[in-house]
Amino acid sequence: MIEVDNLSKIFKIYHHRKGFFGSFANLFSRKHRIVQAVDKVSFTVKRGEIVGYLGPNGAGKSTTIKMLTGILVPTSGSVTVNGYIPHRQRKENAKHIGVVFGQRSHLWFDLPVQESFELLQRIYRIPETQYRYNVEMFDELLSLGDFFQTPVRQLSLGQRMRADIAAALLHNPDILFLDEPTIGLDVVAKARIRQFIQKINAERQVTIVLTTHDLDDVEKLCKRVILIDNARLCFDGELARLRRLLSTERLLTVDYAEVYPDISIPSAHVTYQEGARVQYRFSPEEISTADLIGAILQKFKIIDISVQEPDIEELIKTVYEDNSLILPCGETT
Amino acid sequence: MRSLCFAFQVYLAFAKKSFQRRMQYRVANLAGLTTNFFFLLVHIFVYTAFYAARPAPQPLSLDEIITYFVLCQVSFMLMPFWGTRSEVTSAIKDGSVALQLTKPVDFQAYWFADECGRALYYLLMRGLPTFLISLLFFKVTIPQQPTVFMAFTVSMILAVFMSNAITITIFSSGFWTLDTTGISGMSYSIITLFSGMLVPIALWPEWLAHIARWLPFEGLIDIPFSIYLGKITGIAVWIAIGKQMVWNLFFIGLGRLFLTRGFSRLVIQGG
Repeated sequence: MIEVDNLSKIFKIYHHRKGFFGSFANLFSRKHRIVQAVDKVSFTVKRGEIVGYLGPNGAGKSTTIKMLTGILVPTSGSVTVNGYIPHRQRKENAKHIGVVFGQRSHLWFDLPVQESFELLQRIYRIPETQYRYNVEMFDELLSLGDFFQTPVRQLSLGQRMRADIAAALLHNPDILFLDEPTIGLDVVAKARIRQFIQKINAERQVTIVLTTHDLDDVEKLCKRVILIDNARLCFDGELARLRRLLSTERLLTVDYAEVYPDISIPSAHVTYQEGARVQYRFSPEEISTADLIGAILQKFKIIDISVQEPDIEELIKTVYEDNSLILPCGETT
Repeated sequence: MRSLCFAFQVYLAFAKKSFQRRMQYRVANLAGLTTNFFFLLVHIFVYTAFYAARPAPQPLSLDEIITYFVLCQVSFMLMPFWGTRSEVTSAIKDGSVALQLTKPVDFQAYWFADECGRALYYLLMRGLPTFLISLLFFKVTIPQQPTVFMAFTVSMILAVFMSNAITITIFSSGFWTLDTTGISGMSYSIITLFSGMLVPIALWPEWLAHIARWLPFEGLIDIPFSIYLGKITGIAVWIAIGKQMVWNLFFIGLGRLFLTRGFSRLVIQGG
C-alpha cells in the first residue's frame, strides 16, 4: 500500500541578513544552512494496518507525511502510495487518500459543514448514494447533526476535528493520514475519535498512518509503531516488542538528604538530576534492584526512594534522548 | 470532453461557494461604500478644479472624466490588487497551501474560481450600488449602443481575469522569496500608475502614454473604460480586446510555470 525506500528530504533555509544593507546584500548572495529533515527512511505499510508514526517535534514526521501526500518533493529516495508516485501524480494520488492535519482545518472556514461536504462531493465526484450513506454513517458515529449547519468558524475544536475527519473519509479513501488528530482535545472527545478511527479501520480496511504526541492514541490504536528521531528511523515494529525491548530497563528515583557532587553508581546511568533528586536507569539483568539500593545506601544518605517500570511515554522519551540505548537504526520486523 | 465539463462544474461550485461565503459579511461590506464615495469625490473635485483652471478642450470632457472615475470605483474592488485580498493569496505565505494540494484540484484553476466568486460578490454588493448612487448625483454617461456595452462587458471580464493572472504570478514568486511584501508593493505602484487608475492614459504626455500602450496594465482599467466612453471604436475595439487576451494568456502561462516550479521546491513554513 505504502512503500518508502531510502527517502530523504533536505531543506535549504536561507539566512536573512538584518537591516537595510543586509537586505540589499541578500539580493546578491544568500547564506543558507542545510537541514536534513528526513534521512534515508525506509518502511512499508500493508493494507488495513494502523501505523503510529512517532517522534519528537522536528523529527521529520510531518515532512514524511507531506511527501506521502504529494505536497513535498523528496530530495532522494522513492515513495509509492497505492502504486502512485505522490509528487508526480499528485491529483491521482489525492483521489485515493484522505488527509487530516490536526492543526489546520480542511473545511471552508466561512461555510457550514454541510456546504463544505457538498463541495467535497463535487471535487471527488462522489456518487449521491455513497455520499448519503457516508454522511449518515458518520453522523451516527460522530453526531455531526448537532452542528451540520453551523459555519466551521463557530465550531468547537472537538466538533471541528470530527467534521474534518469525516470530510477526509467521504470519498472512501484507501489510506488515511492523520497528523495529530487529537491535539488539544479533551478526554471524551479523544476517546470518541479513537473509537471512530478503529471502526473505520476495521470495517473498511482503511490503512491509517497516524502521527501523534499522545501515547494513549498509540496504545489504543496502533499495533505497529515507527519511531523517527533526528530525521532517521530508529524503530519499526510492534508496540509490544518496543515495550519488551525497553522494559528490561527500570527507573530508580532517589531523594538524597543533601546534594552530592558525585552521585554516580556503577551499573546505573543518571537520567536526570534536579537538586537532591536523582533518577537512575538500570537493567535488572546487570544489577538487581536490591543490590543497587544497597550500593546507594552505602555511599549516601537518602530520604526517599522509588522504583518504576517505565510507561510507554517514558520509553519513548528514553529512545528520543539516547539513541545508543536502543536498537540499531533501521531495524525492521 | 466529459471530464472537462465535470472540471468546469467543480470550479463553478468553488466560485459559487466563494460568493456565498462572502455574502455572510454583506452588511459590514455596505459600510465600505462610504470609502468608495470618499475617493470618488476626491477625484471629482481635483479634476473639476483642473478643468475650471484650463478651459482649453481636453481629450476627455469633464463628464467623461467623472464617468471614468465612477467606473473606477465600481470595478477596482473586483481586482485583487486594490480590493480586499483573497485567502488564497495568503495561503502560500502561511503554508495552508499544503492543504489545498492534498485535494485532486488544480491550484491555479481553484484560485481563479475563488476570485471569480469574489469579483461577482463585489460587483453586486459594492460596484452596482456605487454606480446606481452615482447616477443620482453626477452626470454619468451611459453608452447609447448596446454593442458598446457588450464590448465593454467582455473587456471588463478580461480585465478581472488578467488582474488575477497577474496576482497569481506575483504571489507564486513567494515560493522563492517567502515574503512577497517587496515585490507586491512594487508591482502595486506600477500597476496603479500604468493601468490608468489615477490619471486616464488619454491625458498623459505622448511619450509616457506610448510606454503605457506597450505594457499589459492598460488592459485592467484604461481599455475597458475607453471602450465604455466610446474612445475606442470600430476595429480598434477588436485590437484592444485581442491585446487583453494575449496578455491574459501570457500571465496565465507564466503563473502556471511559476506555480509548477514553485511547488517542486516548496518549503512548508511552520513544519
